Amino acid sequence: MRRLRLAVAGTALFGPMLLGQAGPYERQKVDVAAAKRGSALYAQYCINCHGAAARGTETAPDLIRSALVLRDRLGSELGPALQRLPPHNAALSSGQVTDLTHFLKQQLEATARNRNPAAPPNVLTGDAQMGRTYFEGAGGCTKCHSATGDLAGVGRRYQPMDLQQRFLFPRSTKPVRATVTPASEPAVTGEIVKIDDFDISLTDSSGQYHAWTRGPNLRVEIEDPLRQHHEMLDRYTDREIHNVVRYLETLK
Amino acid sequence: MKPLLILTAAVCCFGQAFLDPAKLLQPPTDSWPTYNGDYSGRRFSPLKKINQANVGGLTLAWVRRTVVAGRQAGGGTNAAVIKGTPIVINGVMYYTIPDHAWAIDARTGREIWHYEWPSKGGWHIGNRGAAAWRDTLYFETPDCNLVALNMGNGKERWHTSICDLEQFYYASVAPVVIREHVITGVSGDDLDIPGYIESHNARTGMLEWRWYAHPEPGTPEATTWPSVEAMMHGGGMTWVPSTYDPGLNLMYFGTGNPQPVIAGQGRAGSNLYTESIIALNPDSGKLAWYFQPSPHDTHDWDAVQTPVLFDADIDGKPRKLLAQASRNGWFFVLDRATGEHILTSEFVKTNWTLGVDAKGQPRLNPAKQPKPDGALVSPNQGGAINWPPPSYSPDTGLFYANAALAWSVYYLYDQDDKPEGWGGNDRSGYSEAMVQAIDAKTGKIRWSHKWPGNGGGARSGLLSTAGGLLFAGDTNSNLVALDPANGNPLWHAGLHTPLTNGPITYELDNTQYVVVGAGDTLYAFAIR
Repeated sequence: MRRLRLAVAGTALFGPMLLGQAGPYERQKVDVAAAKRGSALYAQYCINCHGAAARGTETAPDLIRSALVLRDRLGSELGPALQRLPPHNAALSSGQVTDLTHFLKQQLEATARNRNPAAPPNVLTGDAQMGRTYFEGAGGCTKCHSATGDLAGVGRRYQPMDLQQRFLFPRSTKPVRATVTPASEPAVTGEIVKIDDFDISLTDSSGQYHAWTRGPNLRVEIEDPLRQHHEMLDRYTDREIHNVVRYLETLK
Repeated sequence: MKPLLILTAAVCCFGQAFLDPAKLLQPPTDSWPTYNGDYSGRRFSPLKKINQANVGGLTLAWVRRTVVAGRQAGGGTNAAVIKGTPIVINGVMYYTIPDHAWAIDARTGREIWHYEWPSKGGWHIGNRGAAAWRDTLYFETPDCNLVALNMGNGKERWHTSICDLEQFYYASVAPVVIREHVITGVSGDDLDIPGYIESHNARTGMLEWRWYAHPEPGTPEATTWPSVEAMMHGGGMTWVPSTYDPGLNLMYFGTGNPQPVIAGQGRAGSNLYTESIIALNPDSGKLAWYFQPSPHDTHDWDAVQTPVLFDADIDGKPRKLLAQASRNGWFFVLDRATGEHILTSEFVKTNWTLGVDAKGQPRLNPAKQPKPDGALVSPNQGGAINWPPPSYSPDTGLFYANAALAWSVYYLYDQDDKPEGWGGNDRSGYSEAMVQAIDAKTGKIRWSHKWPGNGGGARSGLLSTAGGLLFAGDTNSNLVALDPANGNPLWHAGLHTPLTNGPITYELDNTQYVVVGAGDTLYAFAIR
């Protein structure tokens, strides 16, 4: 079975006549081992002109943005081009050309996905002492938080980028609560299950579910434990953010 | 018997499926014949059978759920998501998801025909809808084809390629028909490829012209790029259907983000014609004027939101105007004959500008460009508004935007002199969603209705009517009718999931219908 499948795949990929026909469109699947061999070939034969990242130089074009490379399947375009275009005098075997395409496709696929970082960025660029001053002073953080209490060890628990994100956009450990007061009934306080312009529902401390239709005679007071965090977004400077993250990171 | 049956079918369906081109020039009543209802992009209906006095009686007329197999269902998942605005012609509704089109009875939701395109691939993020010319229906497929169907029976007439899958393009836009031109846009921003817009002959599909979202090398606008190479790979996708002024014979659309998307250090300059409002002659594809809402964008704030056409007196003089509430949080009004700037204002709080320049374009704050250690920015990548269509009511003079105040941190990942692709991204964030009613003559916020609860933008389009109603989806799963004068909620219906398209309305046999798409389902409402 395995040999048969390979043969079919080979026909589909190498037969340019088949590429234009109906059926699923597939990009070349990168063979990692072949891409590694291709990388060595690239460094030997191509890198001087096409650049370290195959993004081109003044003397040779970008191969990631190359329509020829994009259309290539296992050397179908690259092989003839290497023979046709004058400066390419390396005598590469068809197997080596295929390895080279796996390397180029690997670079191309990485580019198409580079909205995700290859490695976490370094967000520890601030000043820890200034971060502490802000934390204890102008930031007002100590009104609710303590470096030796709820935030003790926070620098150990989170990677710096997650620390930055959680400081700016905390995930609530306390739910949003509301107190609902109907016109002639006692008020109920609890966690909001759902709220829109028309209805509100709560779960009270005993786990009982309550629901009301909203209207002029129903008073709804919302208590968002993160309200101050939301309001701070319009006040922080990026410098203050970096300083605070650097400080929080020291709370091991 | 057989020939007779065929003859009957032909007569019935030709009559039922024929779009009178004059319909495209009038505000919609018994039809909704194009993405925005008419060419103006206002999504304002003169219908008032459903109005403030009786909207309380608005009730479910029919429901139609869309069930199809496989990943051709849209949204990148296997569940169908109706993002397109249906069109309605002679009592028949046509709607799409990626690779699929249906004709259904606009009175009952009953299926008349279903067409499935045999897909070769492409990104199935969504399909924004279909367009019609006489008895032909057109829609784009994720694998880069423009398909023409017989509106009577759903059989294919022809198809033609409009982009190259190999270069990571795909197609999602609703075409627009202007006389015998079918105008198509393209999508895709994984790699550094140029955006463009095309015109195809409505009868044959033949390419008539292509306009690239970059200047010609050697022109003054080309100096907004550091090199021809950067310019030719500079992005500017055409994600949203055009509006059109038949008197001026100009079509208007916005262009998307420049490439590389986030890492902009290799493309110094304002990067024309990305992030621009563009006016073209639809017969020649020739540029009449441009205006750039987001010069040198590095936040993925496609300026593709519908350019809405309206007329008003400015300084005592009648003007033909165009307005866009742009994804970057700013509202622009231009003279649509000349592109002359009239006003610029903020419609949600943003933090990325140093004010506005002499041309009315926001001036970038370099501190709010994406940074290796992060920059806190409003709006986030999702934007202060996204592709869902806004509405303008000539009765109130207000421009309505289903907007968001949204914060996130933008990171630069690729610090190379020549980054490619995205090279960065934003992450996480906090947002509040609201409908903003913007005075179209002054840019001032007349009223703001915040949707209760935090998080998420409402991804619903808007519809205003002469019945004094503004239909919107909230951040829960409600279809809501607001008072367009003050934003007070007047009516609602709870659906199974939030709205995913723009609401439409039409009147058949003295019954006015309001139809919305929510996930895989179309809901129709009427007063019985």
